[in-house]
Parts: sequence; structure tokens; C-alpha cells
Amino acid sequence: MAAVIETKGLSKVYGDVTALDSVSLSVEKGTLFGLLGPNGSGKTTMIKVLTGQIRPTGGFATVLGLDAEKEGIRVREKVGIIPEQESPPSFLTAMEYLEFVGAVRKIPDIGERAEKWFELLEFGDKKDVLCKDLSRGTRQKLMFAQAFIHEPVLALIDEPLINLDPVMQDVVKEFLSDYVRKGNTIFVSTHILEVAEEICSGFAILHKGKLLHAGSVADVTADGGHLPGFFLSLVRKGGHA
Amino acid sequence: MPDLFSCLMKEEWRMHSTMFGSISFALFPVMIFGIVFMGSFLLPLLSVAFPAGDLAFLAHASFLLLGFMVGGFGLLGNEMMNRRFGQASLLVYSSRSLPLSERFIFTNFVVKDIVYYFFLWVLPFGGGYIAASPFFGVPLTRALLLLTLSLSFLLGLCVVFLLSSLYVRSKAACLLIVIFLGIAGGVYTIWSGTNPTLLFPPYLLYSAFSWMMFLGTTIAVVTMFLASVVLFSPEGTGLSRTYRRRLGRLARVLSFLPESPIVAKDFLDLSRSGIGIGQALFSFVLPLVVIWFFLSLLRSSFPPNGLVVIFSLTAGIIASTIYTWVTEFDSFGPYSCLPVAVSTLIAGKMTTFLFLQVLPAVFIGTVAGISAGPEMIAPAIVLCLSISIYAAAVMAFLCGLSPSVLVYDVRVLLTYLVLDGVALVLFAAVSFASSLYAFLSVFLLFPAYLLFRAAGARWDARDPAGI
Repeated sequence: MAAVIETKGLSKVYGDVTALDSVSLSVEKGTLFGLLGPNGSGKTTMIKVLTGQIRPTGGFATVLGLDAEKEGIRVREKVGIIPEQESPPSFLTAMEYLEFVGAVRKIPDIGERAEKWFELLEFGDKKDVLCKDLSRGTRQKLMFAQAFIHEPVLALIDEPLINLDPVMQDVVKEFLSDYVRKGNTIFVSTHILEVAEEICSGFAILHKGKLLHAGSVADVTADGGHLPGFFLSLVRKGGHA
Repeated sequence: MPDLFSCLMKEEWRMHSTMFGSISFALFPVMIFGIVFMGSFLLPLLSVAFPAGDLAFLAHASFLLLGFMVGGFGLLGNEMMNRRFGQASLLVYSSRSLPLSERFIFTNFVVKDIVYYFFLWVLPFGGGYIAASPFFGVPLTRALLLLTLSLSFLLGLCVVFLLSSLYVRSKAACLLIVIFLGIAGGVYTIWSGTNPTLLFPPYLLYSAFSWMMFLGTTIAVVTMFLASVVLFSPEGTGLSRTYRRRLGRLARVLSFLPESPIVAKDFLDLSRSGIGIGQALFSFVLPLVVIWFFLSLLRSSFPPNGLVVIFSLTAGIIASTIYTWVTEFDSFGPYSCLPVAVSTLIAGKMTTFLFLQVLPAVFIGTVAGISAGPEMIAPAIVLCLSISIYAAAVMAFLCGLSPSVLVYDVRVLLTYLVLDGVALVLFAAVSFASSLYAFLSVFLLFPAYLLFRAAGARWDARDPAGI
């Protein structure tokens, strides 16, 4: 299978802090891939580098065959992204924000697409509310909608279920699994291991910027094992597995 | 109170120092001290053209404006703070999570601003002058300047705090008061033939100190401060504001622009936040009206039409800060998930900035028409807008999308002052010679364009701030 994400010796250093330390990773098309790691392990930095938001200080990354460093804008044209902490702009309404995304991405039927998302994530009653006045959960739904509204072949999501209630988490998990079944790829960064075990087929573990392990979830769970246990033992050993 | 105050001081310091390093930021007041110290040695030369009293007058006016600007940034920047630093990340929002009333926090916030900016701006300025004064024969009694400059700064700060407290409670009442004060000033000028700024208490104190006036001025400052605390009313939280869809229609109207969605979004930001009106009032019209009154006292020091020329240049510099209004809302963060480059965002902001130049154009055209006749309208507008666009391009080049914070970087500020200063001196000189030469300032648009292009390339090549 073709790799949609490929990194080789990828590093990112902020001053004295090494956020990514020579990470080499490959993610194949049609997988729901989980990037796991404790807080501060470099997951968010990884997504930012892969989507060309920030530049690596070493190594390289290709996404959908594009150089993430040199062709960051083209990468962001093709993929969908949900950043961990970003909110939609304060003084646009929810509907206007999706119109804004549609205008930037040049999506002609943005109105119809937006309505589908309001319906799927059940927040149509908030479409004319200013983004700054939306609850965190509703903002997350909106960020979800903007990431998938152009039906990207690859989506990179930082903590997809954060702030969502259990019912909506279920809707989102089902959507993600279904989206991958259609041949698309999803790259999820999370530290909720149970969710990763439930929905991901492939995974990688980052710890202190280093790649500790990359493999398939099925391999870990084959003999009655669990991803959380595997993860904890690996991280507690500090990567000396 | 002392705990919160010291935390607010630390927070303000760290907000600045983390952006460009503690040492670089710590050098900022040292630089102000140095500039004033060295500049003071030019006073004997300058006093040939400008009486010493006029220079002192300008210094007091500058500190009044500094007070306006610090006050405006502190209060009207509420939304900007949210956007730039994340919700509830500043102590000023801690009433949401700690048992502290918003009024208590506001009081501390105002006191913090007074103390912080006193040490950042007022003390180095006054100190530089006082340190230099023995070398050019000014008696040390002129150390009074430090006190009167402080009062100018405090008056400006408290006026803006009072007006902005009032503004949050009733925009109409605030506008009425500003209009009333403007009319009162105009009527007084016509009736008495005296410029009302001659009654500016700190300057009167500097010219002839009296304890009564000092007491009166202090009472005025304290009264305005207390009134602003009493009138302070935090903006309603928990309200869900709804709006009819405007973005799509506005973007279609502007579709001839390459960055039409960004420009349309900027207009909605400005109008829905109230910052558009607030900034226009407190950061543009109000400072310029005050400057006009101060400058008009120096009319005799300028060649014919020189006052309008100087005012146009000043208005141009102040108009260039409109670039900060349109960048205040956004860090790059919300755009980072979209195929938008920093250069595209700068281009969008610059386009919005150009649209908003209608405001200075109308303002300066009106002032020039009334004060110097219709023949000065076109030169004044061209001069003002050329300087404004050039200075904004300098800002975009030096600071990218963060002009209101990066200006505290010593290197950035010095480069900004030099690049703008050269243009100002050059076009003041040629426009003094003949007002027709003011049209030559359109040539500034060429370096402005080059700087703008270079700004895009420069900031695209760096990791964007705010993500």
C-alpha cells in the first residue's frame, strides 16, 4: 500500500527543548492511525510539522507526496486539520465560519455541505451564534465540520473527542471509522488510549520527542493484550523496550 | 491587593519579555533614557527655531497621548487579548475562576498600568532630560518636568479609562460627552480667541507651579480614576449573540480582491466587536483633535501652511496604526488549519487597512479645508495617506502580524523610528518649501510596495507566532 505520510529523521527543536527527535514513520493509505504519547511528547508538534505550519529543524516529511516543509500550503489544501487548541474566529457566526472556510478552500456548494454537518453533529440551532459565544463542545463540532467539509483524502486531528459528550463521541467515532472504510486516511493524535484501541488500526508511540514504537493495534491485542497496558509499560521503561 | 498587583506586574513584564527576550525588553526604558538624554543636548539649537516653552508643550502633549494610547490598549483590547493569548489565560480574567470581583481586578489593572508604564516610558523620559539638564545650563528645578509629564500621562490614561467605562455602559452617552467636549472647546476658542489647550493643567504647572493647581489636577485625576472604577461594568458574559449571515454577501461584493474572505471577516470583526468605533474614537479622532489644538499653538513657528503640513504628517503616522487595529484580532492560529500563508494574511490585513484610510482622508481633508482653505485639501490628503501607507508597510515588514507588541523590541523600534523619521523629515522639508511638493510624497508608495512584498517573504520564512 502507498504511504500517505512519510517522515525520515524528522526533528524539531525549540530553543533548548527537543520536541521531535529524529522520527521516522510511515502511514499507509486507508488507515486510521493513532499517534499516542503522554503530554508534551511531541504529538502536536508532529501534526504542525506534517501540515507545514512549522518547519522541521532536521529530516523531512512528505504528505500525500508533497514536501511538508516546502509545500505546506498545498498540503493544507488537500488535507483536513483539527488543531488541538485553536478556536474558530470570535466574531463570525458558526455558519459564517464554514462559509469562510468554503471561500478560502473554494468550495462551491458550501451552504449544502454545512447544513449536512449541522445535522450530523446536531448543532443547527447554533449556526447563527457568534463563535466566541459557543460552548467548547460546539466549537469542537465546528472545527470538526471545517476539517471534513471539503472531504479530504487525509485528515490530521489533534485530540478529536476532546470536549464532546459521550453521545457525540460515539457519533464521531462512527464517522471516523466509516470515513476510513471509504478509502481515506485519518491521522489522530491522542492520549486517550482506550479510544485509540477501539478505532485505530495502526499506531505509533512518541515519548519525549522520540518514536518508541510503531505497529498495528491488532498485533498488540492479538493475544488478549491491551493497548493501554502496552503503552504504559513502554513509556514507564522510558523507551528501553 | 498587593498580591494581585504584583502578579499583574509580573504578567505584563513576562508578556513583553517572552516575546523578545528579557534583556532586549529591559533595554527599552534605557533606550528611551538615552535618546532623551542625547536629544536634550540639541535643545539649545532647537530653541533658535522653537521657544523652549513650545518644546515643553509638545512633551506634555506627547505624554497625554501616551496616556490615551496605553488606556485604549488596556481596555479596548479585551477581545484582542482573548484572541492573542487564549481565553481566560490572563489574570484580568481570573474572576471566572477565583473569588475576586471584576471591579477589584479592574482597579488593580488600572494601578498596574499606571505604575508599569510610568517606569517604562515616563521615568526614563523625564530622567534623561533631568540627567542632561546640568550640561546645557537648565536649572535642576526643571526636574518639575518629571512631575508634570507624569500628570499629563495620568490625565490621558484616566480620561480614556473613564470614557471607556462609560462606553461599555452607554455608547450614546460616551459619544455625546466627546461631542460636547469638542463643541465646548470650539466655542471657547471662538469666544475667547484662546486655544483651550493653553488651559492644560500639567503644562500650566510646568510654566508656573502653584500648589492649588497641583492639588486641583491631582483631584481631577483621582476623581476620574474613581469614577471609572464606579462606572466599570464588565461586558455581559454568557450571552449568546446571534447575527444574520453577512460574510458570504460581503465577500462576494469584495470578490474583485484576491483576499476577499479575509477582508470581509476583518470588517465584521471590527463592526461586531465595537473595536472599530472604539479605536476610531480613542486611538484616532481624540488624539488628533488634541494634537491639533497643541500644534495650533505653534502656528507662528511654522512657515505658511506649515501647520497643516505637520498635522498631515502626524495624522499619517497615527493613521498607520490602523494596521494594528486590523491585526489585533488574529494570531495566525485560527488560519493554521487552512491553506493560508502568513503573507496572504498580511496582504488581507493590508487591504482592509487601505479601505479604512477613508477615515484619515476625510478627517485630514476636513481639517485642511477649514483651517487652510480648499487648495490645501488635496496636498494634505496625499501627504497624510502616503506617510500612513509607507509607515504601515514598515510596520508590516518589521512586525508582521504583531505590530502592537513587537514595537517594544528595541531593535524593531529603532529601525521603525529611523525609517519613518527619514520620510517625515524629508517630506516636511519639501512641503514647507511649497505645499505642491507635498504631492511628491506619492513616491513613498514605491518603497511601501517593496517593503510590503518583502514583509510577506520575510514572515513566510519563519514559523508563525500564535500557533
